[in-house]
Amino acid sequence: MTQQLLAAIPLAIVASTPLLLAVLGELVVERAGMINLGIEGMMLTAAMTAVITAQWTNSIALGFLGGILGAAIVGALFGLFALRFRADQIVTGTALVLLAQGLTGFVYRELQQQAIFLRAVPAMRYDVILPLAWIGIPSALALLLWHTRFGLRLRACGELPAAVTANGASVAMHRWTALAIESVLTGLAGAYLSLAISSGFAENMVAGRGFIALSIVIFGRWKFKGAIVGTAVFGIAAAAQYAMQAGGRGVPFHLLLAVPYVITLLILCGIAGRVRAPESLGKA
Amino acid sequence: MRPLHRIAFAMLAATLALGILALSGIAFGHRPDELVSILISGSIGSTFALQGTLLKSIPLLLTGLSVAVAFRAGVWNIGGEGQFLAGALGAFIGARYGMAAALAASVLAGALWASIATAMRLWRNAPEVLTTILLNFIAIHLLGYAVNGPLQEAGRRYPQSDAIPTSAMLPQLGSSELHAGIVLAVAAAVGVWFLLYRTAEGLRLRATGFNRSAAKWAGINVDAQLVRAMAISGALAGLAGGIELLGVTHRLFERFASGYGYAGIAVALLAQLHPLGTLASAFFFGAVTTGAGELQRTAGISSTVATFGQAIVILTMIALTRRKRDAA
Amino acid sequence: MRLSHITKRFGANVAVDDVSLDFTPGEIVGLVGENGAGKTTLMAIAAGELSADSGTLDEPLPVGVVHQHFLLVNEFTIAENLALSLWGRNAEAIIRDSGIELRDVRRRVASLSVGEKAKLELIKAIARHPRVLILDEPTSVLAPSEAQELFAVIRNLAAQGTTVVFISHKIPEVLEVASRIVVMRRGRIIVEGGAMSAEALAEAMVERRRVELPSETRGMGANPGNPADVIELSSALRVARGEIVAIIGVAGNGQSELAETLRRTLRGRVAHIPEDRTRDGLVAEMTIAENIALAEPHWRPRAAAARAAELITRFDIRAQSPLQRAGSLSGGNQQKVILARELQRQPEILIAAEPTRGLDIEATRFVHDELRAAAARGAAILLITSDLDEAFALGQAVHVIYRGTLSPRMTPDEAGRRAPSLMAGVGA
Repeated sequence: MTQQLLAAIPLAIVASTPLLLAVLGELVVERAGMINLGIEGMMLTAAMTAVITAQWTNSIALGFLGGILGAAIVGALFGLFALRFRADQIVTGTALVLLAQGLTGFVYRELQQQAIFLRAVPAMRYDVILPLAWIGIPSALALLLWHTRFGLRLRACGELPAAVTANGASVAMHRWTALAIESVLTGLAGAYLSLAISSGFAENMVAGRGFIALSIVIFGRWKFKGAIVGTAVFGIAAAAQYAMQAGGRGVPFHLLLAVPYVITLLILCGIAGRVRAPESLGKA
Repeated sequence: MRPLHRIAFAMLAATLALGILALSGIAFGHRPDELVSILISGSIGSTFALQGTLLKSIPLLLTGLSVAVAFRAGVWNIGGEGQFLAGALGAFIGARYGMAAALAASVLAGALWASIATAMRLWRNAPEVLTTILLNFIAIHLLGYAVNGPLQEAGRRYPQSDAIPTSAMLPQLGSSELHAGIVLAVAAAVGVWFLLYRTAEGLRLRATGFNRSAAKWAGINVDAQLVRAMAISGALAGLAGGIELLGVTHRLFERFASGYGYAGIAVALLAQLHPLGTLASAFFFGAVTTGAGELQRTAGISSTVATFGQAIVILTMIALTRRKRDAA
Repeated sequence: MRLSHITKRFGANVAVDDVSLDFTPGEIVGLVGENGAGKTTLMAIAAGELSADSGTLDEPLPVGVVHQHFLLVNEFTIAENLALSLWGRNAEAIIRDSGIELRDVRRRVASLSVGEKAKLELIKAIARHPRVLILDEPTSVLAPSEAQELFAVIRNLAAQGTTVVFISHKIPEVLEVASRIVVMRRGRIIVEGGAMSAEALAEAMVERRRVELPSETRGMGANPGNPADVIELSSALRVARGEIVAIIGVAGNGQSELAETLRRTLRGRVAHIPEDRTRDGLVAEMTIAENIALAEPHWRPRAAAARAAELITRFDIRAQSPLQRAGSLSGGNQQKVILARELQRQPEILIAAEPTRGLDIEATRFVHDELRAAAARGAAILLITSDLDEAFALGQAVHVIYRGTLSPRMTPDEAGRRAPSLMAGVGA
C-alpha cells in the first residue's frame, strides 16, 4: 500500500503539471484583479491547437507554440469583454468555456476528415516543461510580482486600481499583460495535456482542470508557494485514490472519477473561510 | 431600458449568432445557403421539426428560469447541469411511486443538490461559482456510476437504466410527440414571474441581487435570500431533468444532461433574466439545438455548434447591455 | 501659477463659474466653502486631474495633491505604498526627508491609524517636491494634536517657498494657518483676503446662518430617569424613548463598526440610516416604490406606488413619479427616501449615521426636523455624526468615540468642554 503510494508520486507530479501551469496563470490574473473562469476554455482550445499544429508541422515545439496561440485567442476575448466592455467576468468566463467547447468540437471534427491530420502526433522526447512548471516559472513569476515595479503595480491593480491610475500607470495595460502571461501558461498547460500526457485531442479533455485551478489559487492564498503546495497535495491525493484502486478492494471506477472534484470541494471548504481575496477581484 | 430595446437587443444577438455559425460553416467549405436551409427546415420547417424544437425547448425553458432566478438574486449558480442530473436521478427513483411522486422527487433532488453549494458558502464561505461547477462533475460521475452499477438495466448490456414504469411517464399531448411537460414548464415561467415581481419574497430576492449591502441595511436577511434563490434555482433545474426523463428518454444513461444546464445561462441572458422572456429565448435555443442536430445528420457538421451559438449569444448580450449602461 | 476665468460644468450643474486665482510662492491659501461650493473641482483643475470647460491655467507648476479619500493600498506595507508612487527610492529616506514622523515601514497600511494614513499620504505628496501642494480637507480625520503636527509641516513647507492650498470648512483652523483666505460659494469666489474675523468668514460661507437649535428640543418625550423607558443598546450605551443621544468622534474611530454591530444585533422595530448612502442606502436599480417597500411584509405594486407617492409628497422628495429609479435621484432626495422608508416603520429605535453628510442646508434642516419629530413620537434615537454642530443641535446626551471606545455619557454642555480633548484621545 505505502509502496504503491510512493510509486504514484512521480506520476502524480506529471499528471498535475498542466494543472499547476493553469494555477500559476490564474494566480497572476487574480492578483491583477480579474477572475477568469474562461481558463477552462483556454486550456481546451490550446489542447486542440497544439495537436493540430504538431501534426501539421510534425514538430513538438511548434505544437506548444500553437497551444499558446490558441489560449491567447480565448484570453484576448476575455480581455475584450471583461476589460474593454467591462462585462461581468463570471458570465464572460462561462461563455468562453462554452465557446471553446463548441468550437473545438466543431473544428476538430471538420479537420479530422483531412489527410494531414490523420498523421500520428509527434512524441515528446525531452520534458522541459515539467521542471519549468514546478521550479523555473514560479520563481520567475514570484520575482516579477514581488521585486519589480511592474509587479508592484500589477498587484495594486488587484487591490486598489485607482492608486495605479493616480501614479500615471495604466490599469488596463497591467491587466492585459497579466492575461498574456496567463495565455502563455495555459497554452503550455493545454499543449502538455494533449501532447505529453494524452498524445491526442479529445472533446472536453480538460475535464474541469481550469475550475480546479481556480480553487487551488484560493487554497494557496494567492501565493506561489501555496500554489505549488496546493497542486502537489491535490495531485498526490488524487493519485493515492487511483493507487488504492489498483491495490484491489475497490471503489467502482466511475465513483473514482469523481474523486478529484470531491477533493477540490473539500479543499475549498477547508480553507476558503479563512482567506482574504485581492480587494478588487472581479470588479473591472 | 424600454421593452422594445430589450427585444431589439435580443433579436440582434440571435441574428449575430446565426450569422457567425453560417460564416464558420463557410470557412470549412460548406455552402451557406445549404446550412441555413437545413438549420431552418430542421427546426421549424415542418410540423415534425417544430415538435422536436418544442420538445428541446422544455428543458431549456426550465434551466433558463433556474439561471434567471439565481442571477436575479445575485447568486452564481453555474450548477444547472448537475442539478438537472440530480433531478433526473430523483425522478427515476420516485417513478416507481407514480408520476406525481417522480416530479416531486426531481424538484426536491435538484434543490438539495444545489443546497450543498449553499451550505458550503454559508458555513465555509466557499464561492458558489466554483462549488456549483465542481458539483456538476460529481453529478456526472455519480450518474455514470449509477447506470453502470446499481441502476443498470436488468439485462446489463448497456450503461443505461431500465425504462420507468408507463404509469410514471408524462402523457403525450394528442397525437403529437409533445408531452404534458410543456404545460408544466410554461406554468413554471409564469410562476417564477409572479414570484419575482408580485411577491414580497421576490422583491427581496431582486433587491439582494442588485445590492446585497443595501438590502442588508434595509433589514433583509440576505443569507435567507441566498438559501431560497439557490433552492428554487436548483428545483427548477431538477424539474427540467425530471421532465426530460419522464417525458422523453424514459431511462437514464451516461450522457443524459448533454449541456442543458449550461445552455440555461444563454437562455436566461438572452431573455435578460426576465421569466417571460425565457419563453421566447428557450424556443430560439430549442430551434438552434434541433437545427444543429439536423446539420450533424445531413451535413456532417458537429452538433457542438449549438454550444458555440450559445456562447456567441451570451457574449453579444453582455456586450450590448453593458454598452447601454455606459451610455446612461 | 495662475488660474484664469475657469468654468466647469457637470451636466446642468455649474461646479466652477468663471473663477480666477493666483498661487504665490510661500503662501498658505485657505480655501473654504460649504460642501458642493466647487473647491475640490477647482483644485482638481489646478492639479491637471480635470480639464476646464473654459479658462486657462497659466505658468503651470508641479502640483501635489493629498485627496480627502486616501489612495493607499491597505494590503501593502508602508514601503510598498511609497514604492508604488516613488519606485527606486528608499522608503525610510523618503520619510526622513519629509520631516514627518512615521515609524516602521514594514507595517501594513491596514494596521495604521487614520492619522498615520494621512501622514503617509502627505509624505507621498511632499516627496515629489511639488511647488504647489493641495490638501483637501486634511484635518477631517485628524485628532487636534495631529492637526497641529500637520500645520507645523505646512508652515515649514511654505517657508521653503511652496504654495500650500488648504481646503477646509473648519473656520478656526483656516484662520489659524492660512495667510490668505479664499471663500467659495456656488462655484464662485465670494471673498478673498488676508485677515478675517470668524464671524465674517462664516457669514461669507453660508447664504443663511446655520440651523438654529430650538431650546425646547431638549428633554422632550419620555423621562430618561425612568428605567422602563431606557433601552440598552450595548453595555456602555443607553438611549431613552424620546431621547436623541449623539456619538461624536473623528472619522475612522469605530463609528462604522458600531453602526454595523447595532445593525446585526438589535432586533424588533429598529430603523437604520446607513453612513454610506450610495452603497448601503438604496438599491439604485429599483424604483422609489420598491425601495420603500423593501422591508414590508407584503408587496402589491399598485398599493406600494400609492404609498410611495404619499411619502414623496410628505417628505418633499423631488421625483417625477414613484416608479422613478432611486439611483437617478440627487443625493439629498435619496437620503429623504431612506428617511421616509425607515420612519414609516414607526421605529422604537433609530440609528442614524451621518444623516446629513453632503446635504444642503435646506435638506439638513428637514432631516433634523424629522429626527426631532420621531423622538417626540417616542423613538429612541442614536445619532452618530462627525459634525459637532449637528451633535449639539440634536443630542440631549453625548458620547465621544475614540479608537473604538465610548466615553461616559455627558450633557451637551459638558461635552462642549471636554469633547476636543476626548476626540484626540487625551484627558479621558
